[in-house]
Amino acid sequence: MVEVLIVVMIVAIVAALGFSLIGLLKGGDKGSDKMFKSLVTRITLSIILFGVVMVSGFMGWISPNINMIDKQIVVSDK
Amino acid sequence: MSEQEYYVPHGTYWPIIGSIGIATLFVGLANQMHGVEWGSSVMVLGLGITIFMMFGWLGQVVNESVNGYYNDQVDRSFRWGMSWFIFSEVMFFAAFFGALFYARTLSVPWLGGADNNVFTPELWNGFSATWQEIAFKTPGAVLQSGVEVSVPVKLVDTWGLPALNTALLLLSGVTLTLAHHAIRSEKRNQVIGWLVATIALGVAFLGFQVMEYAHAYDDGLKMTSGIYGSTFYMLTGFHGFHVTVGALMLIVILYRVQKGHFDPKNHFGFEGVAWYWHFVDVVWLGLFIFVYWL
Repeated sequence: MVEVLIVVMIVAIVAALGFSLIGLLKGGDKGSDKMFKSLVTRITLSIILFGVVMVSGFMGWISPNINMIDKQIVVSDK
Repeated sequence: MSEQEYYVPHGTYWPIIGSIGIATLFVGLANQMHGVEWGSSVMVLGLGITIFMMFGWLGQVVNESVNGYYNDQVDRSFRWGMSWFIFSEVMFFAAFFGALFYARTLSVPWLGGADNNVFTPELWNGFSATWQEIAFKTPGAVLQSGVEVSVPVKLVDTWGLPALNTALLLLSGVTLTLAHHAIRSEKRNQVIGWLVATIALGVAFLGFQVMEYAHAYDDGLKMTSGIYGSTFYMLTGFHGFHVTVGALMLIVILYRVQKGHFDPKNHFGFEGVAWYWHFVDVVWLGLFIFVYWL
């Protein structure tokens, strides 16, 4: 469930970045405003996403990829 | 120049100098990689010519812009040029993220017999279809297949440098947004301050990335360490290169801000570089989540 939230947030961040690119392409006052506001949205969402990932990892809702090694591969330590 | 007049670029020698520089650079690089004695010198010469071209050509464009030679039509052509460049960058990283997804989610499980287990014994006795598997070189533990390996449990420590680097880059996104706000409000000193902070955070990111590489390399994770090593270094390495280029671009913009080249209505150079930095930031966020977490 948390994974889905993370992916949805990444899509939203990429979309905000895309909207800001459209603003950059348009230029002028309107384009410049659109670009700036979209970039503010994207950085805000990114910080929230980073927080979500860190909290989820800390709470054990998601695990780092590296854990695969312990769980699935190693049979014994010498 | 009037709005109606179609802008025709004047003759320039910079493209041919750039071509000579880049060709010399790659001839030198190729020969250096083949162990030819003069390879390094030719490579450095090519790099020098390319840098000379960049200073000369971009400096000329900046001078023309500052002296008012460009009209709205030229402004649009710059914006379209930047957009196509960005499109190529998006596709470039999409290819590497695609390779990561394909290798990790499709090809490695298939080779490990996830489907019908027909091929695995034929390929390599003892093959273990594990992401990051090839990273472990030194004896110390035994895999299910019976192969002895070492397991540096914290080989790629998600909580350490990668998390710190993510925080640094996100913070640089914040400082750059503050600089962007300041340039729109005509507060030049604030723009300079926030830009310096952004550049410093970018340089700190690169420093920690070098430490991360040294650590991973020491633990046996190399470009040759199977598909994980290849995709890890290709993605993070090219990202690091983009951060380097972005930081250089920010330094140029900082210089131009100090020279008073921009005003609240007219600062496309700043906008282009700011977007590029935000893009590099988002790429890292994707890397952090897909390489280290999901």
